Amino acid sequence: MTLTRRLLLSASIVLFVFLGLTGLVLDRAFYHSAEESVRERLRGQVFALLAAADFNDQHGRLEIEEPLPDPRLSSPQSGLYARVFSSSADIIWKSTSAIGLTIPRYTQADVGQWYFESLQDSSGKHYFSQSFTVVWETSQGQQFRYVFQVLENEGVFNQQVSGFRNALWGWLLAVSIILLIAQGVILRWSLKPLRDVAIDLDRVKAGKEDRLSKVYPGEIQGLTTGINTFIDSERAQRDRYRNTLADLAHSLKTPLAVLKAGIDKETHDEGGSATLHEQIDRMKQIVDYQLQRAAASGRTTLGTSVPLLPNIERLVASLQKVHLEKRIQCDIAIDSQLVFPGEEGDLLELTGNLLENAFKWAKLRIRVSAAAQMSPEHEKILRMTVEDDGIGIPLSRRDEVLQRGKRADESVSGHGIGLSVVQDIVNVYGGSLQIDSSKDLGGAKLVVFIPLQ
Amino acid sequence: MRLLLIEDDEALRQQLVTTLVDAGFVVEEACDGEEGLYQGKEYPYDLAVVDLGLPKLSGIEVIKGWRQADKGFPVLILTARGRWQEKVEGLEAGADDYMVKPFSPEELLARIRALLRRATGWSQSQLQCGPVGLDMTAQTVMVDGAKVDMTAFEYRILEFLMLHAGEVISKVDLTEHIYQQDFDRDSNVIEVLVGRLRKKIDPNNEHKPIETLRGRGYRFAIARNTESTA
Repeated sequence: MTLTRRLLLSASIVLFVFLGLTGLVLDRAFYHSAEESVRERLRGQVFALLAAADFNDQHGRLEIEEPLPDPRLSSPQSGLYARVFSSSADIIWKSTSAIGLTIPRYTQADVGQWYFESLQDSSGKHYFSQSFTVVWETSQGQQFRYVFQVLENEGVFNQQVSGFRNALWGWLLAVSIILLIAQGVILRWSLKPLRDVAIDLDRVKAGKEDRLSKVYPGEIQGLTTGINTFIDSERAQRDRYRNTLADLAHSLKTPLAVLKAGIDKETHDEGGSATLHEQIDRMKQIVDYQLQRAAASGRTTLGTSVPLLPNIERLVASLQKVHLEKRIQCDIAIDSQLVFPGEEGDLLELTGNLLENAFKWAKLRIRVSAAAQMSPEHEKILRMTVEDDGIGIPLSRRDEVLQRGKRADESVSGHGIGLSVVQDIVNVYGGSLQIDSSKDLGGAKLVVFIPLQ
Repeated sequence: MRLLLIEDDEALRQQLVTTLVDAGFVVEEACDGEEGLYQGKEYPYDLAVVDLGLPKLSGIEVIKGWRQADKGFPVLILTARGRWQEKVEGLEAGADDYMVKPFSPEELLARIRALLRRATGWSQSQLQCGPVGLDMTAQTVMVDGAKVDMTAFEYRILEFLMLHAGEVISKVDLTEHIYQQDFDRDSNVIEVLVGRLRKKIDPNNEHKPIETLRGRGYRFAIARNTESTA
């Protein structure tokens, strides 16, 4: 899991739990306060009714003076209802609005006690009910017990609550989305230096940059400096190694050249001179082969890569110049995006030897092509092919050609050693070399496979 | 043919000079890059052989220097390392061919002759102008199919004139490309040699192969045969 994902995921969980709990608390608080206000209101109504009530001695019963304290009580189905029960639970008075109300019962409370509850009528509608039990003493000293009840339709309350809930959760959702976006932006911004390092490392790998050159924040400065030191020391070591090899080659082969040039003048004995030539050629081959092999650096730790096409074009242009008189037509079919997963030196050595052979043997045409493809093991590999219209390499000699330092044809110098060097470089890169016949051109076809990752 | 050889190894340089002089070339030598660059810029050469690993100035810098100074003579590079990076850089700098040390003297001579022909527009080692044929490898001259014996200097003059067939070659040019630097340029040896050459390749005075242009020099006047007939 990436750092960004980890941070986003954990932050989102915390955010949702926190905002969820906040929402729940707010919801409960609002609900309770709304219910309390309903209670208060209904109590007020009960008090108003009590104030309007009077015991009529003539009729011997309780009467409520018109007009009623709240006009809603006078209009039918208004949502606010009032009833008065006698001690035997008979309805002795009800408001005009309560006509047709089918709530059967109420809970009896002690005298002077309030009772608040939610009741249901026969059609399933809910009502808040606030009831109050009083004892009425007449001037004759008679005591009557009454229960005053005020009911209110729960519809309005429910609307209020759901309205609040919608607004509450809507806002909370909006806030969490804004917070998440802000968090994402902050994360991107704070992790940008790390992404930059990764991008710059890719550029170094692709050979577009020598080292990590930007200024990075203090926290990762240590890391990037370390990487740079590592890159530099690896390069320095490789260069030193190359230079040592170059010096060695120079100091070994110049004396060999002197020997070779001197033989003809110094030795008059034919047989002796032939042996000397042969031995010097062998020494030259061994030195060439071992030095070229040693110089193949293979994949570096950081994995550099070089573009394929421009290097092939350089080689072809150079070889065209050397073999000017042959007027060879060389077709190159290589995508300009293709890269060789290694050092320029290795690429030039590898393709230089293949192309040199092709130019040496070709009559008129050479074809160079390269493409990235999937191996049977589903790995990405680079496939390079060099074909010519020369005599080709017979089946029986193909193994021999690939063997260390052997020549396929003694008469053309350098052939054979080139291919075994190619073979060695290919091996260093974990690839393979195939010798085949070109169907189109009729000559040799050499195919190199190099794993790309 | 006047060659410049730049090689820092004393022993190899001496041997190459001997080989080249024996093969009939006029050879100047330089043992480091700076001297080589100077000589190549100052004196007319037909070809230069340059070792890439030189003290003071690398072979590649020397070649670049010449090319920048519009010196177009062919350059053959010698390299000990044989790395393609080096060869490609050399060829891109302006060299025309490369050889990896050690090499046999015959191979070196063959490459030098091929470059000299190429630079003058010939594609084969047999130069043929009408009845006159010259084999650069065997160093023989045939007129109407019959071999003509000649001295080394006569051959060199004919080779130079035929390589540049159709061009006017001044006496000074001819002297410089045929003789070592310390040769007395005022002598009329060239005139004597050209006169002898005319008698040898055109005894009946019918083809008139070598023209004298008064005050300007000589010109090989028979046109080159096309490749198919050569």
